[in-house]
Amino acid sequence: MSIDFLEPTDFSEAMALLSEYGDDAKVIAGGTSVVLMLQQKLIAPNVLVSLGRIEGWDYVRLEPDGLHIGALTHLRDAERSPVLRQFCPALAYTFSVVGNVRVRNQATLGGNLSAADYAADPPAMLTVLGARARLLGPGGTREVPLSEFFLGFYTTALEPEEILTEVIIPVLPETARAAYFKYTSLSAEGRPCVAIGALADFDSDGKCKDLRIAVGAAVETPQRVESAEALAYGQTLTGELVAAISEEYARTLDTLSDVRGSAWYRKEMIRVFVKRALEEVRDGHR
Amino acid sequence: MAIGKSVPMLDALARVTGTLDYMINLRLPGMLVGKIVRSLAPHARLLKVDPTDALLVPGVVAILTGADLGENAFYGAAIKDQGVVAVDRVRYVGEPIAAIAAESEQAAEEAAMLLDVEYEELPAVFDAQEAIQPGTPVLHENYPNNIFIHSKLRHGDLQAAFAEADEIFEDTFTSPLAQQASLEPHVAAAQWDGNGLTMWTASQAPYMVRRVVAGILGVEEKSVRVIVPPLGGGYGGKGHIRIEPLVAAMARKTGGQPVKFVLSRAEEFVTVTKHAASITLKTGVKRDGTFTARQVTIYWNGGAYADASPLLVPQGMVRSVGPYRIPAVHVDSYGIYTNLPPAGAYRGAMSSQTTWAYESQMDIIARKMGWDPLEFRLKNLFVSGDQFATGEILHDVHFVECLEVSAKGLELSPSPGGRGVRGEGKRGLGYGVMMKSTVSTSKSQARMKLADDGTVTLFTSTVEMGQGAHTAMAQITAEALGLPVEMVRVVGPDTEVTPFDSITSASRSTNMMGNAVMATGAALTKRLIELAAPLLETPPEELRSENGHVVAEEASISFTDVLKRNGLDSLEELGEYATAFKVDPETGQGVSTPHWHQGAGAAEVDVDTETGRVTVLRYTAASFAGRVVNPRLAQLQNDGNVIFGLGPAVMEEIVLDGGQPTNPNLADYAIPSIRDIPAELVSVCIESEQGELHGIGEMTLPPVAPAIANAIEDAVGVRIKDLPITAEKVLRALREKSER
Amino acid sequence: MILNVNGSKHKVRTETRTLLDVLREDLGLMGTKEGCSVGMCGACTVLVDGKPLSSCLLLAEQAAGMEILTIEGVGSAENLHPVQQAFLDEGAFQCAYCTPGFVLTTVALLNENPSPSDNEIREYLAGNLCRCGSYQNILRAVKVASKSEAVKVVLKP
Repeated sequence: MSIDFLEPTDFSEAMALLSEYGDDAKVIAGGTSVVLMLQQKLIAPNVLVSLGRIEGWDYVRLEPDGLHIGALTHLRDAERSPVLRQFCPALAYTFSVVGNVRVRNQATLGGNLSAADYAADPPAMLTVLGARARLLGPGGTREVPLSEFFLGFYTTALEPEEILTEVIIPVLPETARAAYFKYTSLSAEGRPCVAIGALADFDSDGKCKDLRIAVGAAVETPQRVESAEALAYGQTLTGELVAAISEEYARTLDTLSDVRGSAWYRKEMIRVFVKRALEEVRDGHR
Repeated sequence: MAIGKSVPMLDALARVTGTLDYMINLRLPGMLVGKIVRSLAPHARLLKVDPTDALLVPGVVAILTGADLGENAFYGAAIKDQGVVAVDRVRYVGEPIAAIAAESEQAAEEAAMLLDVEYEELPAVFDAQEAIQPGTPVLHENYPNNIFIHSKLRHGDLQAAFAEADEIFEDTFTSPLAQQASLEPHVAAAQWDGNGLTMWTASQAPYMVRRVVAGILGVEEKSVRVIVPPLGGGYGGKGHIRIEPLVAAMARKTGGQPVKFVLSRAEEFVTVTKHAASITLKTGVKRDGTFTARQVTIYWNGGAYADASPLLVPQGMVRSVGPYRIPAVHVDSYGIYTNLPPAGAYRGAMSSQTTWAYESQMDIIARKMGWDPLEFRLKNLFVSGDQFATGEILHDVHFVECLEVSAKGLELSPSPGGRGVRGEGKRGLGYGVMMKSTVSTSKSQARMKLADDGTVTLFTSTVEMGQGAHTAMAQITAEALGLPVEMVRVVGPDTEVTPFDSITSASRSTNMMGNAVMATGAALTKRLIELAAPLLETPPEELRSENGHVVAEEASISFTDVLKRNGLDSLEELGEYATAFKVDPETGQGVSTPHWHQGAGAAEVDVDTETGRVTVLRYTAASFAGRVVNPRLAQLQNDGNVIFGLGPAVMEEIVLDGGQPTNPNLADYAIPSIRDIPAELVSVCIESEQGELHGIGEMTLPPVAPAIANAIEDAVGVRIKDLPITAEKVLRALREKSER
Repeated sequence: MILNVNGSKHKVRTETRTLLDVLREDLGLMGTKEGCSVGMCGACTVLVDGKPLSSCLLLAEQAAGMEILTIEGVGSAENLHPVQQAFLDEGAFQCAYCTPGFVLTTVALLNENPSPSDNEIREYLAGNLCRCGSYQNILRAVKVASKSEAVKVVLKP
């Protein structure tokens, strides 16, 4: 069996190939998802359009409008980027807990997000950071907030011939605090049972100016509960308020069931880890 | 003295350079790729398996189906109910229904898709206790209630003994379906030469494979040659018979071209499992802290075929009583058919499930009665001279010491800094002690050949699977002969040149093969001395062997010279060690094991009461190791057992849907990683230099799960009776407790 | 396609296969093995341009032109790499199916971080599974290797 392995050297060449081959083609970046799917016979393309030789799209750059991460950046490089660690240590930490060191050496940010695996780590964290995905297609470039990018299990807003080229994270206020919690219920090396991304900003009186919490891994796509977040605005995060917010998250979200936990358990863990995330952003550092 | 030294493994260089030749590396000229086609239904009549279209695929050489099998189509350790491939009925999802030999994997896969298969589905049953109810589907007509074996132990007057009890406890403990998950899968290859077969297989039982394969092929045993390379892990899953009959039949069907089958990880989960089990213990105690009676009822889920269960279920019976003085004991140990893959030995075979039960109940009893769990055990643990429930008198048992050493280990070293979780963690200590039989009737033979260059070759059918068996045997050989260990080579298993051994399993080899090697060595030394005596002009009684020489008071002669001066280019001896103990089939009375395996553990856990997540902070394990051959290898076994044991304790479970595993991969079936091990893990071998050579392959594993459950109860007052002890189960239990 | 393995160039037929299969079947390099086929166990670890990757999840074509290091390129019986020597001295293996993966990962770790803390070692090796349970000896071996003078000599500048 031989699938044509095409290696365009830039994105427009990649676009042209996708246009030419249509449904017969599959994009492969790092390969951790695509090679797995090929081995398990979940996909059977005739052509692989590899992004592996495209240069210039693995970067982490701070620009006036925010942090730009090239889609072809390997997660391990993102994890270790001094620029990212400075910009948002919680995000660097999020990348550092994906899979294992081999996975992170191979997987790219673009590939990770495009796969839309419900148990992936980056989506929840990037969602609360207000990240946007830049998508390149035959019609040009468009931006989609990550909150609108994940549509369902393994389904994204990517149109058939579009490729994710960059993730942009808006500049965070100086006073903002972020945290990521990955809760594994079986082996510490396993996929998460529940993942929580949190971002909060407080004024000098300790009153909450902004709160965003996204739950991942326990739900189909990363979910925020805006009605719960709204409870925090203008308030100090007292123990009672923290409990109310986490309760609202647990109550509202429809959780899934898999080997790592039942739907009931996941609701319980959402309550626990939203609480812990709130305490962390309230008491901890960026 | 070679015994007692931490000699590196003989092939250590090959291990660290990746050049060890595992079965998976085998390549033969003209070798075909073998692929198994498997049942999609858990229970069905197999109406049609038509290979006509599949045979048309270019590169396909042969296809084996039930139609090819004659009267020798079935095998099994005691009940020959398992087809080489399914003949007219399938009984579990994943059961082989055909095998393909092709020139490439692609051709084999294409052919698999073209196989024309028709099923008539039948109702299926997956739970052992459900399977024995009237009205449930019957898997094998000879066993209308699906019970294929019922082992019984009857010791003492149970009713009278219960009448004497001040308190009676009845608890049921369950263990799920699990998988041995060796990193190397099952792999086997074979070549038929017209009269006989050569087979290479990653198996723990070469002679058993030879016997069964010869039976399948209808040839004499000596026409089948079985070669076993070093294994990439076995843990019982490669014990007994696995894919070998199918591979042998396929090899014959190709008409002489060798064929190799390598199972995928997903296939591993439908090839062999660990028995799911439900164990009910009814135990009577007196207020003075002693036992009066115990009644054990075990339902072992054997899967669709009896397989090795007729050997394992009676062993499970004996292993279910526990290491305590209990005057009256009755056990009923049932092996039951269900529409699941056949269950086999899993490290700590049957003891994993039984120790979980009896050690958990120990703490249940202690807490209810207001006794200290450690003291309660120490008061009742067997000592040498006590009588066991089979009637046999125990010798050389050190349970008390194993437990004391484990407990002391936690006492002595200070608890490491806590998890620092905002006060949600609660700490507790728990203990577990294990008593396990080994195989009662088995035989090991060894052949030793001294060459005239002074080297010795030991021919042994003991399988090297990382436990260092060959290294240990080399050390024993060296000691028996009085030779440096560097002069010893170990060859085998290869049934053409290595003599009989029952199986490498049940931690029997250091003792059984070790004794055979000692006997052979002693015989060879005796002959050397007799040959040397005239040369040294000294009577044999005044001679000894040392450092490759026969030594007298004032003179010595090298082994090499002894041979040369006697005109011999080599000297060979064959030795044997066997035991043939048995118990009465109706009462279980007799001798159930040549000696007892003993282990204990103590765990300190932290329970996060918000999530239920349990962290094992510290663990000390101790096992009785008799006369330790290689301290480092023994240490690795002890440590390795505890780490392995964390798996079934807190994370391993095959999750089924309609009889199909939903998590047949290492991402969704969790096995312990480096981040799961306790911050402090210490294991101790309790030695007895004058003692017997003792097995060490399993002892510290079974106590792990109950020690953790007991520590959880100590920490937060909840009792989990169902493995694995997941965070979810602990949280549910905590909720139920606070609701009461 | 041309694969650069252990310092030599090899021409292999272009076909859609994993790097693992090509290494074993075409190049006869048997030290790299499959344990799980989903990138979890690390038995298939190779270093590509110095970085540990799962060769069971890489298509051979993806690695063309890069420097691939397998266990065979790390050392031999006559010339053990200091990491291999440390594994040998500490008895950091039992069945050793996982050992090439651990050795390569350790080499990569020490190249990146010559004096790793115990925690850093654990985190880096976390993705390598050992079913026999040799982890304690493995951690000790890595620590020993990181302190050895010999290892400083072989590490890339």
